[in-house]
Parts: sequence; structure tokens; C-alpha cells
Amino acid sequence: MVQRTTTASARTRRLSARARLSGWGFAAPGLSLLLLVVAVPLVLAIALAFSSYTFLHTNLLPFTGLANIKESVNDPYFWHSLWLTVGYSAVTVTGEIALGMGIALLLNQDLRMKGVYYAILTIPMAMSPVSVALIWHMLLQPNLGIVNHVLGTLGLPQPDWLGSTTLAFWSVVLVDIWQQVSFVVLILTAGLSALPTEPYEAAAIDGASTPQRFLYLTLPLIRPVAAVAVIIQLINEFRAYDLFYVLTKGGPGIATDVLSYFVYRKAFLGLNINEASAASFGLLIVVLILTIAFYALISRRSN
Amino acid sequence: MQKKGRAWLATLVAVAFAMMFVVSNASAQGATLHILMEDVPETHIIENLLPEFEQQTGIKVDIQKLVYSEMHDKLVTQLVASSSYYNVLEVDFLWAGEFPAAGWLEPLQPYVDKTSFDLKPFIPSMLDLVGNFDKKLYMIPMYNYSMGIIYRKDLLADPALQSAYQAQFNSKLELPTTLKDYVQVSKFMNAHGGVAGAAMQGQRGDPNSMEFSNYLFAAGGHYLDANGKVSLDSAAALDALNLYVDNIQNASQKGALSATLDDTFQLMCQGKAWSMVTYWWMLPQLDNASSCPNVAGKVSLGVMPGGHGESGGWGWAIPHNESPQLKDAAWKFISWVQSKKVAVERALQGHAPVRSDVFEDPSVLAKYPYYKQAEAVVQSGEAFPVFTYSAQYEDVLGRQLSLAAANQAKPADALKAASDGLQQLLTKAQKQ
Repeated sequence: MVQRTTTASARTRRLSARARLSGWGFAAPGLSLLLLVVAVPLVLAIALAFSSYTFLHTNLLPFTGLANIKESVNDPYFWHSLWLTVGYSAVTVTGEIALGMGIALLLNQDLRMKGVYYAILTIPMAMSPVSVALIWHMLLQPNLGIVNHVLGTLGLPQPDWLGSTTLAFWSVVLVDIWQQVSFVVLILTAGLSALPTEPYEAAAIDGASTPQRFLYLTLPLIRPVAAVAVIIQLINEFRAYDLFYVLTKGGPGIATDVLSYFVYRKAFLGLNINEASAASFGLLIVVLILTIAFYALISRRSN
Repeated sequence: MQKKGRAWLATLVAVAFAMMFVVSNASAQGATLHILMEDVPETHIIENLLPEFEQQTGIKVDIQKLVYSEMHDKLVTQLVASSSYYNVLEVDFLWAGEFPAAGWLEPLQPYVDKTSFDLKPFIPSMLDLVGNFDKKLYMIPMYNYSMGIIYRKDLLADPALQSAYQAQFNSKLELPTTLKDYVQVSKFMNAHGGVAGAAMQGQRGDPNSMEFSNYLFAAGGHYLDANGKVSLDSAAALDALNLYVDNIQNASQKGALSATLDDTFQLMCQGKAWSMVTYWWMLPQLDNASSCPNVAGKVSLGVMPGGHGESGGWGWAIPHNESPQLKDAAWKFISWVQSKKVAVERALQGHAPVRSDVFEDPSVLAKYPYYKQAEAVVQSGEAFPVFTYSAQYEDVLGRQLSLAAANQAKPADALKAASDGLQQLLTKAQKQ
């Protein structure tokens, strides 16, 4: 009896080993691809950040230690770009979540033609940021653009959307929110539709008002989903580059000179891909710290 | 037997050579050349003539058009790769130091020698700008884009404006000859002409750097002195920057600080500006009744007030990282497109020549009498510093100009920072 049990257990072990092997086999193509497109460039970027490789000196050696990081950090515009990026990310993500939540709550009602609304909402999300920027560049053109034309027809002031040092930043924020909010709406709508109905029924019996139900039921229940949306958008916004490249080129002055544009300048204008990699790591570390901190905060509250 | 063997060997070698010739010719004939070009009228002119080249050589040409600001990055990524997707390069003069220094371009003298291509008709200043680097020929000049002033002559001749100007300044309203007068007329037109005094391209980077260079040269300033030392932090340059800031703040269109070449062109085309400091070949586009009916017949070209404007140009080059067959095909294209016959055909459609024999061609002058002014613009032009980090310097300068224009830096401080930036980059280039 004992011997039979031992044999069965050994067979199970063998089977599970075989199953594990098959699992690895099935996962191998995908993993290899991931390794190729994620891990290899990441390792290469790390190597570049500590090397003397530039577009003019195409050799990793000699390694330069922390010199590239020091060079980037000592650049007088690095810190300005970093803080501007932090501010930009905070403002855009807050705007996207607030607006996205509002739209998601509306879409969570019993509406006619809901499919049409969804279809319209997904259009900006499906567009490339460069196309979005080019369209908005035309719309916001102060002399010939449709936005100022409409404002002028209504007798309202016609702002210099992208040429004013105070407005340019906010103009890019608005364009970004316009494009990104649909993604947040989709995530939050999915979250809202999956919420349990019982607490709402109980709250209705207890006579809770709509704001009370939103504050004490919807918000706590949707928090994990919202946290995911915040983290994804935070990462997206820290990397935002296309809109700035097309709309403002970092100007006027240094009003929209975000860190991703700083990295671009180092790489493609200064030809210093090593310093650009070092600055990118600054960006990566900030995003990583914020993501971990935010995730920890949300998890603790949920627990 | 030995003789017979030798004869066989000779026949074999001859056949091998013949086959190699046929194969290489066949591969050149069946080749497709990919070229990345700026989306400007010059490119469209060349595109119109391509069927002629394809018929003559059997080589297909695929032109991809892009806005200027995105070309450099796209080219660099191809040039650092093991092989370049683009087989013929359109090289701006700002990259004419960087690309050869990085070893990305094929020296062209062997091709010139092999095909007896005549370089003599090319304007020497253009060969210096977009031809030679370190005394080696890497590029063949393609077209020039020296800058001058394009202005509305009808507004200058307007009797009401003339009398108002006379009353205000006690002088005649006419095309200004100094930078100071230009800004004065520009501000006057902005206030009384019902148009922006100047359509200005103040976006940070290439647009504002190129535009400011005209102000600098017009005021008698320079980036470098005769010995190649930085001389930007000078009284003349400060005058130029003060006048530039004055014009952009008080006489330009709304949104000038974020405007590009396209924005200024559209504004001028719609008749909403009196002047623009721009590339001289913009004139035929503006003077075209079908594309710009509001201003056609009312615009004219002049040398930048002050006597000197920014000189610029593009050159053709062959990337180092491609096959010999494609290099040969690329050279066939370059030598065809820059031949006198094709250059004249291009000029008759509005091309900005780099060959003196095209500027002087009777058929060209008969169609475009203003090519005389254009030649004066080209001859009086001065160049932005051409070195390994010219593109980066544009960014450094552009940032300081934008800061000054947006009142975020004093012009003197901005000029000092721009001058220091130039010195640092020159030093860095010398260390390479």
C-alpha cells in the first residue's frame, strides 16, 4: 500500500515536472519576445548611461561611472524640467481622474445610445499623440484657428494659447486631458459596472442621498480600480513627449520644457545618447518611486 | 596546351567581368532609391521631374516628405544603424559639420572623378556651405535658402499710410534699408496698416534661431570673428536682439512666440501681415494667384534691411552604410538632378539654384526677373556657424532668444548665455 502511494506520488511529481516544462515551452516564445523588446533595451540603456558611447564615439568603453548622471544633474535646466514634469503629471492625472469619474458615472446610468457615446469616447484614445497634437495645433492657432474664431464670434477674448508663457503649459494640459480621459473613462466604467448592487440597495432603504452613496459607497469600492488608472496615467504623463514636441518645442522660453524633451535634446541634438540615458534613468526612478508609494498608500487604505 | 589553357582563362575572366557588369548594371537599374526630403516646394518640383529620371535609368525614386523639425532625428537613427533605409540624403547646412564628422557620409570626389562631373558652375559659397568639410567633398549643393525680406509693396505705396508715416516720422514710407528702420516701419504697419507688421517665426529652436540670425547680420554682428573666435556677446548683437524683441513684442502677429515657417507663410498668404523675414523662394508661392489670391501681385523681395541676411542651403549626400550598387544608383540620381539641364528645368518651376549658370540662364531670367534680387540675397548672405554641434547650438540659442522675447530673461543676459553656449559647444567639438 505504502509502495503504491509512493509510486503515485512520484508519478504526480513527474507529471507536474512535465507540465511545468510544457508551461515554460508555451511561454517561451512570448518571454523571448519580451526579453528582446524590454529587457535587452533596458540593459543596453543602463550600459549606455555609464559609458562614453555617443553618436560620434560609438564605443561603450571606457566606462565613465557616474559622470553622465552628474552631467545631466548639473545641467541648469534639468531640475526645472523635472519639477515641471512632476507638476504636469499631477495636474493632468488629477484632471483625467476627476473628469473621467464624472463621465463614467454618467455612462453608468441607463442611457439610450450608450454604444454611440462609447464609440465617440474611444476616438481620441485610438489616435496617435502626434496626430492629436497636429490637429490641436491648427485648432489653437491664434490667428487662423477655429477656437479663437468661435471665441471672437461670441465676443470673447481670443487667447494666445501656445505663444503665451502662462497659457502654453495649460493648453498642453488641456489637449492631453482631452486625449487621455477616454482611457480613464473606460477603466472606471468597467469598475463601476462590476460593483455589487446590494450595498446600494441597503443604502437606498436607509435613505442615503446620491452624494452620500457616491462618497461612502462608490468611492471606497472603486478605489482599487481608480488606483490602477492613476498609476497607468502617471507613468504615461511622466513620459509625455509628443504633444510638447509638436505643440511648443519646450517654449515659449522654458515654459513647457519637460524632462522627456530634455532627454530628447541630449540624445538627438547633443548626440549624447549616454547622457540622455542617464537622464532617462532619473525619470524612471521618479516614476518608480511615485508608483510604489502610491500603490502602497492605496493598498494600506484598502486593507 | 598551356596556350589553350591561358586562352580559356582569359575568356573565363572576360565572361566573369561581363557578368559582373551586367549584374551591377541590372541591380542599379532595378534599384529603388529612398530619399527623405523636407516638405517644401523644392521637393515637389523634383518630384514632378522624376519620371524623366526613371525612364532614363530604370531606377525608381521614392521620396518621403517630412517637416523640417523631424528630419534630423529620423536621419540620425538611420545613419547609426548598420544600413540606412535612405539611400540619398538631403543634408541641411546645419548638419553639414555633424554628419561628415561622425563618418556617416561617403566622400564624393571619387564619384565626381569617375563620371567627370563638373563642379565649376556651382557657386563657391554654396560649395563651402554644403559641399566640402575638412577639405573633402561630402555633399553636392542642392538648393539655397538664403533669407531676405518679403514685403507688401501695395501697403508701402498706399497714399493714406504714406501721409500718416510722413506725419509721424517726418520721412518717406519706403522699403527700409537699416534694421532699426525696418522695425520702425513694421511697428507702424502693425498700428496703422490693419495687418501684423511682421509675420515672425518665434518658435524655439530652428525657427527663431534662423530668424534672429538675419537681425544679427543686419546689425553688423557675427557669431564668430574672422579667426573663428566667438564674438556674439557684442554691442551690435545686443542691438540686434533688442530690435528683435521689440519687433516680436510690438509688431508681430498674435502667437508669434510659437509660430513656425508654415504659420508665417499662411498669415502672409492671407494678406494679414506686411512683411516676413524668410527664405527668398517663398516669393513665387506667395505671388501665385491660385494659392495666395489676396497677395499675388502685391509682394516683392529684397535683401534684409541692413544689407546682410542669413545664408543657408541643402546638399545631397550618400550614406556610408549602404551597398556599393545603391551608392552608384544614388550618385546617378545626384548627378542627374544637379545637372544644368535639370537645374534649369527646376528653376523654371521656382527652384532656388546653386549653380551660377542657372541664375544667369536667359530662359530663367525671362520667366523670373526677380532672380536678380534673389542672386543679391544669396551673395550678401552670411552663415550660421557650421560645426559638429550646429543643431544643438540652434537649440541653445533658440532657448535664450525665446526667453528674451517672452520677457523671462534680459536681452543682455540671454545674449551672454547664448555666447557662452556657443563657446562650450565649439570647445566640445574640438575635443572630438
